[in-house]
Amino acid sequence: MRSAIAAFAVGFLLLGISLGFWALSKPSAEAGDSAAVEQALITPATEPISRTTTTTTISSVPNSTQPEQTDSQPTVPQFTIGLHPEGHNRVPVTLRIPAIGVEAPVKPAGVEADGEMEVPGNVTEVGWYKYGSAPGESGSAVLAAHVDLAGSGPGVFFDLRLVEPGDIILVDLDDDTTLTYRAEARTVYDKDDLPTEAIFSRQGPPILTLVTCGGGFNRSLRSYDSNVVVYAVPLDDAPPVSLKDRL
Amino acid sequence: MRKAMMTLVALMLMLVPATALAQTSDGTVTVVHGVPGLTVDVYVNDVLTLEDFEYGTVTDPLTLPAADYDIDIRVADSDPSSDPALTELVTLPAGANATIEANLDGDGSPKITVWVNDISSIDAGNGRVTVRHTAAAPLVDILANDGALFSGVANGAEGVADVPAGDYNVKVTAAGDAAAVVTEVPALTIPEGTNVIVYAIGDLAGDSFQLAVQSIGGLHTPPAGVPSGTGGELTTGLPAWLLASLAVAGAAFTFGGVQVSRQRG
Repeated sequence: MRSAIAAFAVGFLLLGISLGFWALSKPSAEAGDSAAVEQALITPATEPISRTTTTTTISSVPNSTQPEQTDSQPTVPQFTIGLHPEGHNRVPVTLRIPAIGVEAPVKPAGVEADGEMEVPGNVTEVGWYKYGSAPGESGSAVLAAHVDLAGSGPGVFFDLRLVEPGDIILVDLDDDTTLTYRAEARTVYDKDDLPTEAIFSRQGPPILTLVTCGGGFNRSLRSYDSNVVVYAVPLDDAPPVSLKDRL
Repeated sequence: MRKAMMTLVALMLMLVPATALAQTSDGTVTVVHGVPGLTVDVYVNDVLTLEDFEYGTVTDPLTLPAADYDIDIRVADSDPSSDPALTELVTLPAGANATIEANLDGDGSPKITVWVNDISSIDAGNGRVTVRHTAAAPLVDILANDGALFSGVANGAEGVADVPAGDYNVKVTAAGDAAAVVTEVPALTIPEGTNVIVYAIGDLAGDSFQLAVQSIGGLHTPPAGVPSGTGGELTTGLPAWLLASLAVAGAAFTFGGVQVSRQRG
């Protein structure tokens, strides 16, 4: 009887210690304040998007009942003809995340026929959403890459889930300049709840958004059920507080 | 406590309508000049708003409160009290995006046409092309990359289509005759999330036929998702040391259980 009690005691003790230690050591899926970043991105901008030429050069129309005065003569408008320039001044070419040993080429990416973002079929490459903001412009510049690919193994963003707030992220642009970001928050979204309006926002603070897959894996669909997202802010920006102040 | 709640509710009520109103009480107006050989002054509610407005010109958009506006067009430098060459009462509804165009009808007579621009959101990756036939010219076909985009477009009619963003070779041809090219744009850029509106203006017989282009951006929508993993390499399973530890614990329980059953047996 004594040996049975001893065995149970050892069993319970081991179980408790193991599970407790596991719970403590298990990396948390979330870090930092992702909600604040999302909110900042979808809050209507008070200023126009930087790369769009906007011009309301025609004077507003005074009310017809207003008496005409010489000093209220409408200003002569300036006309522009043709398309508003849509191009980016500079585009990303390389992404570096020293904390997880990532250095990868960045390629422009568009949209698949099914309406989802194109992610490079080469797992060593990162896709930049070319229709959205480029790094350095207002809004969220989105860089996406595979966590893994059937037949190719782990992808360049395999360890994205391990990026911690404070980690440095570098983006080299095609004009030989480098933008330095600091990871602000990391989170995991169920794919059905991915806040695409915020992640792909073309206005708001200049955020760098890294996206890959994660969460549970459905073997029959060969698909993960979640997206791992890391939001980063330009390094020269003041600490997290500054982001909330803009809300 | 109740007072605090009331204050909070009041604050929320103040915030919501302010933003909602800003978006819905105004309309947007653009003006296009499509009457050849005539420089004009445009009066809105009897105020000179566009001076020396030249053929082929498209203004930038102007945001105006939703209301009725008297549009009078006079030959440039005419007496403001003289009878206008063209006049139109335009009702601008809240939230509308309209273009007021002075153009020729099918017989070559000047008129004012009011267009409502399609500013509904566009699927990610696409742009929108709108073609408006406002020239003194017969029926035309519009070809994009030599494929039919719109066929048999008459004066006063428009065609609207959402297409993948990119550059397109656009040709305007006589209806039914792809070889009879009236005009060609080698590379018309249709940016993503933008409605590019092309006006055919002028008089085909009088050699003043040309195109004018207006564009309305910001109609984009985000992609539906980011599919970025099919390997299943990201195991969410338990670490090996935990499995080993659990196995030992299990063995201890089994041993204890056996001891207990022996005692009872």
